[in-house]
Amino acid sequence: MENGDPDGELVGLARAGDVRAFEALVVKYQRRIARHVARYVRRASDVEDVVQEAFIRAYRGLASFRGDSAFYSWLYRIATNVAINMLKREDVPILLGDDAPEERAEPFRPGVSDNEDPERRMMASQTADAVQRALDRLQPELAEPLMLFEVEGKSYQEIATMLNVPIGTVRTRIFRAREFIAKRLEPVLGPQRARRW
Amino acid sequence: MTIDVSKLLDGQLESDEVRPALDQVASQAMLRDRYTVYALVGDVLRGNSTPDDGFSVRIFERMRSEQARIEPGYDPLED
Repeated sequence: MENGDPDGELVGLARAGDVRAFEALVVKYQRRIARHVARYVRRASDVEDVVQEAFIRAYRGLASFRGDSAFYSWLYRIATNVAINMLKREDVPILLGDDAPEERAEPFRPGVSDNEDPERRMMASQTADAVQRALDRLQPELAEPLMLFEVEGKSYQEIATMLNVPIGTVRTRIFRAREFIAKRLEPVLGPQRARRW
Repeated sequence: MTIDVSKLLDGQLESDEVRPALDQVASQAMLRDRYTVYALVGDVLRGNSTPDDGFSVRIFERMRSEQARIEPGYDPLED
C-alpha cells in the first residue's frame, strides 16, 4: 500500500460492487475535488453540480479505471473535464488550464456564492477556528505526524523515517491526533450525522 | 475500532482488513461520523475550510436518484 495507490483496496471493492467503498472515497475526496472545481467555476451551486457529476461519471466508469494512475488523479481529471465542458456549454472563458493534481499553495477562497452566504461562511470559519484551537493544544509528538501527512503529503513510511519511529507508531499518533481534534469539534459541528454519511 | 477508521481513510489497512472495517463503518453511525470528521480535519488543515453541510449525502442521493451503476465500456475521460 505504501508504494501504490492508497485507495487501491477501496477502489477494488467498489469495482466489485461494494457501493460503501465508493461512498468512502466520496467522503474522502469531496472537498478536495470541490476546491479544484472552484478554480474553474465560481458559483457554489455550479461547483456542487460539477462535483456530483464527476463522482457519478467516476462510478459509472470504474470498470475502465486500470490503476495506471492513482484513483485521485483519475478523479481529478474527470472533474476537470466536467468543469471545462460546463464552461464551454455556457460560453464562459476558461481562465485556468491546470490539469495537475497537485494543489496550489495559495489559500482556497470559496466561490462567489459562498462569500454571499454568511451562514456557510460562518460555519466554515467556526470549523477552521475550532481545528486550529485544538491543534494549538495538541501534543507536538501527535501534531507533527498529522501535519506531515495531511499538509506536507508525506507517506506514513516517510514520516516514520523522518521521526525515527516504527510505522505503527505513526499510525497510532495520527489516529490520536485526529481523535483529539474530532472531540473538540463536536460542539461546533453538532449532531449532524445523518447529514454526513 | 476508531483507529481502524483512521487507517481506512489513509489506505493503511491490510487487504483482508478493509472489508471488515467497511462492514463496521456501515453498521455504526459513530464510526461513519468519525470517518467524515477525520476527512474534514484533513481538509481544514490543508486550508480547505468549506462547511460541513451534507455535501456527500447529496452526492449519494443523486447517485441513487439517477440509479448510477458501473458500466463496462464507459470511459469518463472520453465522455
